[in-house]
Amino acid sequence: MTPPDPGPQTVLCGEVRTSVLRTSEALTARTATQLLNLRPDEHVLLSERPNLRVVSPHQLTGVDCRLPALTGGRPRAVGTVAVRAVLTEGRVLQTSAFARLVPGVGSHRKPWGHYLLRPGDIEPLARHQARDVVEGFLASAPLPGGVLNPGSIAERLLDEVLRHQLLDQRAPFKSGRTRLRWTALPAAEGAQASIERFTVAADGLRTVALRTPSADPSAVAALCEDLALHDWLLTTLLALVERSRLGSGDGEAVLAALRPLVDHLLHLWMPGARVPDALAGVWETLERRPGFSRQWQSLVQRIRDQVALRTVPLSRPVMARS
Amino acid sequence: MLVFAASDKGGTGRSVTSSNVAYRRALAGDDVCYLDFDFGSPTAAAVFDVPGASRGVAAGGLHSHLQGRHTEPHRIDVWAESEHEELRYRPTGSGRLVLVPGDRDGGEFAIGKDTVRRCVNLFLQLESEFDVVVVDLSAGRSYAVDMVLEATAQPELARVLSRWLVFHRWTHQHVIAAHGLVFGERGIVAGGVERGHDKGALRDSIRFVRAAVPDPESPLWAHVPLAQSEWMRKCDRDLTELAAELDLGYARLLGKIPLEPVLQWREQLITDEDVLASKVAGMPTRQALEELAAALVDEEAWERQ
Ligand SMILES: Nc1ncnc2c1ncn2[C@@H]1O[C@H](COP(=O)(O)OP(=O)(O)OP(=O)(O)O)[C@@H](O)[C@H]1O
Ligand SMILES: [Mg+2]
Repeated sequence: MTPPDPGPQTVLCGEVRTSVLRTSEALTARTATQLLNLRPDEHVLLSERPNLRVVSPHQLTGVDCRLPALTGGRPRAVGTVAVRAVLTEGRVLQTSAFARLVPGVGSHRKPWGHYLLRPGDIEPLARHQARDVVEGFLASAPLPGGVLNPGSIAERLLDEVLRHQLLDQRAPFKSGRTRLRWTALPAAEGAQASIERFTVAADGLRTVALRTPSADPSAVAALCEDLALHDWLLTTLLALVERSRLGSGDGEAVLAALRPLVDHLLHLWMPGARVPDALAGVWETLERRPGFSRQWQSLVQRIRDQVALRTVPLSRPVMARS
Repeated sequence: MLVFAASDKGGTGRSVTSSNVAYRRALAGDDVCYLDFDFGSPTAAAVFDVPGASRGVAAGGLHSHLQGRHTEPHRIDVWAESEHEELRYRPTGSGRLVLVPGDRDGGEFAIGKDTVRRCVNLFLQLESEFDVVVVDLSAGRSYAVDMVLEATAQPELARVLSRWLVFHRWTHQHVIAAHGLVFGERGIVAGGVERGHDKGALRDSIRFVRAAVPDPESPLWAHVPLAQSEWMRKCDRDLTELAAELDLGYARLLGKIPLEPVLQWREQLITDEDVLASKVAGMPTRQALEELAAALVDEEAWERQ
């Protein structure tokens, strides 16, 4: 028996790209503000507690596209996608594009003025199943051309910011980008926010399916940015530790590889620090399993031990040559 | 580091040699990415023995990415996807080896501002992820060469280390052609200067690699008549002289790969298995490839002038 059709539902969806900022020194609050000043008519948001986080004004991209769908047809939809850039501690850059698929169906395309009054909303022009759109969106294959694709909008902004002349293009360590694609359906009456899945596909794409009581796209996007940030930190630290050949003989090489991590990454771990209470349940679930913080702490401990071990000079000359 | 592999003529050994260098850098522990920028015939994947991509991929390759048709060019993890026996397991201590293939029906295309911008973005992104990014360019002063010269002239790439390897065969005509490609009126240096490169800096970032060089002392020729052997030696000496005159001599030479029978038969990576166990490939070839891979990152080799 198929479950009853819940009727029209709001779907939030988006994608976050995370990358190291290509600069030898982390940016100060001032330069970070200059970097993310994407629109002269709107302010950059800056907060310094519990860590430095700078958020650009939103930009809007008009879309006239098909909605992804796993089974049914791909209904046409028109509206705008919001995108913003977020810089944490002057070191990790994220771009985040998201939209709200409004429930209900319009019959024909309206003038752009209509959509601009509803920034970040997308209006379907044909009937669709919210579930089907979610599954289609999270399917790991690259989204087909012509289909709603916040990821490519986020990617464009990321490339643009990363080319800024404020940056000297010298990152302190090698690292890749990560992509996190997410959706949020409404939580059941009175229920807390919850996470239905967190997967990593073979091509590196992270997918997150949420249920949230709040349909505030910006707040849910902020939660996903926080997830993406910490997933990136863990991914990057794991890769760098593997590269450093921790435990191999060459002490100096290991130290040289670990130093930038200590200088630039270890202090960034602060999961859920800015997530509003209504959404905090998601982090609690992830901390139980897979236990992001546990894995992070144990890696950090290994790094600190290695650094301590290899920098402390031996007190006695026990290293006689044989 | 960005490494551009160029050659004046087709079929010089550019793809095979640069792929082998990429492989050897990965074995040495570097994270390496290999880009197939040979828009006319993207066949680099064949050398890495990746199924389904040997003539480029059906969709999502580099050509369509540079034309803005998708944001994520397809990546192939060679250690995971190669069908080559020796490549299927990533050796301990080795770095990543990633191939970014071309599109099967790519072909050349016009270069506009947007193409160059995408190319710069791609280089910046890969350079911040990999230690060595090898870019296999199509032969001659192609679109690919022009685009790369244009991209590397942009201020964002000014601080990124770029090196050029120009491959040529060891014959009279090839030596002259390689000289022309680099120093000629329509050469890489002149083309770079036109686009804002510093002449001296660009020239000093270029080194030559001689591919498929017959060694008159090799056991391959041990049984040829004396007269022929003498003649080969003389040719070799004359060519060495010509190369020196044309500024392709010692100071600008980065490596010399011997004529390798295995490579005459098949475009492939020369693994240690091929040399040590099955002994189908020669030790000198392996040695030369390893030396070339080391020279690529050896500052001294790049300071010679
Ligand atoms: N050292 C070598 N000894 C013998 N044969 C070689 C050697 N290096 C390359 N070859 C062979 O020469 C041929 C051309 O090599 P390759 O495909 O690498 O050249 P290319 O310059 O990339 O050509 P194209 O311009 O067509 O892409 C191939 O068959 C290759 O196996
Ligand atoms: Mg080739």
